[in-house]
Amino acid sequence: MVLTLFDKVGSTVLQAMETAGDFAVLSGRAFAAIFKRPFDGANLMRQFQAVGVNSIPVVVLTSLAVSMVFAVQLAFGFRQFQAEGLASQVEGLAIVRELAPVITGLMLSGRIGSAMAAELGTMQVTEQIDALECLATDPIHYLFVPRLIAAALVVPLLTAISIYVGYWGGYLILVGAEGQSAFVYGGEFYKLLAFRDVRIALTKAFVFGMIIALVGCWKGYRTRGGAEGVGNAPTSSVVTSSLWILIADFFLTKLLLV
Amino acid sequence: MALIDVVNLSKAFGPKVVLSNVNLQVEEGESLVVLGGSGTGKTVLLRNIMGLLTPDSGHVAVEGKIIAQLRREELFKVRQSIGMCFQMAALFDSMTVFENVAFGLRRHLEITEAEVQARVEECLSLVGMKGTEQLKPAELSGGMKRRVGFARAIALKPKILLFDEPTTGLDPVMTDVIGRVILDLKHELGVTTITITHDLKSAFEIADRIALLFRGECIACQTPAEFKVNPNPVVQQFLRGDADGPFLQDPPPPKRKAKEAHA
Repeated sequence: MVLTLFDKVGSTVLQAMETAGDFAVLSGRAFAAIFKRPFDGANLMRQFQAVGVNSIPVVVLTSLAVSMVFAVQLAFGFRQFQAEGLASQVEGLAIVRELAPVITGLMLSGRIGSAMAAELGTMQVTEQIDALECLATDPIHYLFVPRLIAAALVVPLLTAISIYVGYWGGYLILVGAEGQSAFVYGGEFYKLLAFRDVRIALTKAFVFGMIIALVGCWKGYRTRGGAEGVGNAPTSSVVTSSLWILIADFFLTKLLLV
Repeated sequence: MALIDVVNLSKAFGPKVVLSNVNLQVEEGESLVVLGGSGTGKTVLLRNIMGLLTPDSGHVAVEGKIIAQLRREELFKVRQSIGMCFQMAALFDSMTVFENVAFGLRRHLEITEAEVQARVEECLSLVGMKGTEQLKPAELSGGMKRRVGFARAIALKPKILLFDEPTTGLDPVMTDVIGRVILDLKHELGVTTITITHDLKSAFEIADRIALLFRGECIACQTPAEFKVNPNPVVQQFLRGDADGPFLQDPPPPKRKAKEAHA
């Protein structure tokens, strides 16, 4: 009984270590391959299109919805003790520091991380990744690197868009519905913010972008077992990268706010 | 020295031993056909030669270089001289036929786009697929996909071509077409080939030597004429295509008499 328990715990720990090690090795290889030749510009542009341009509607819609709901909550909350003026300041603080990078990261892990896992997973089970190897092409260099670069650069840009949209979402509610002055809202939104907060938001987004691409590619690359495997890869990629985005968010906040 | 030298190659997946002490030598310009039932490790053999799998013991040497000991850059160099044709073609489905065939050329050779175009056309016409450049793999039939796969494999002018079950799942006519394409490639390019197949007709057409894998071991490796008269009961059963005999591990279901079956 005790031995079985030890056995189980031991094998779970070993399995976890093996998985973490595998992810670390593949990520390391991806970073090392960034500056390797040949540079495939067309492939990179395709990824910018897939990761960036095509994600704009999703990011705009979710940022608008979240910022509007948040403004409604703040207006209601601060009205309880006649401090409606604070709503726009807190709205600005929350959007820039937390909501924009995290919402963008989570939405993109669902949109692009899962797509990467599904695409690479299908390539793996249809032997296309082996075909790349046989054509003397490193799959890490050809598949991981453009996705990693695109995600790491595009997620901060989309976060900036998310902040901008968040400003107008708050405006719609606090100025449009709650009747605050537009001039005051414009000033108050940035009142509690410093340039450092934008830098923190973009740093977070940069890290989230790398997490999304690396986890998505890794889950796809390690897909086994036909249709079922290809089905599991995106789900598992979204769960894993969302979890790591939240964990990274906590530590980055702790680290960067000090 | 043999161009491809497989020495005491063994490979197991968990408890299942797939290859055990396989020895094969392929000389330059020679065409070897590897026969064997499903699951006897034929594909595993090719994947070991390509370096996609690492042997548990023994080694594969190509032009004297031991594949499993090469650094990745050296391995990629060796792979440029080997063309691999996958069982289901493994074409890149996001690219057109042209881009598929041009893939290796664009990545490894410093040549102009006009030269790439000329080489792709040449390769496609060698396999009888001219005029399909702008199609996507999804628009091709199984036989056409394989031939595009051949074109992609020969684009870099490899010294060695490996065919992994090139005719499986095709109708008899297309099987013959593929057999002829392989023969044409062999004669026109003078390459060394290893072909894995179940199809005896094309095997005897293509082969300079035939090897038979049986339960992970290579039990015969000889010229087609010698292979036909090999007294080994396993060889003879394989040639007859009969279920009764030592070939299967589990005894086959008993054969019904024709009358019984109708009743």
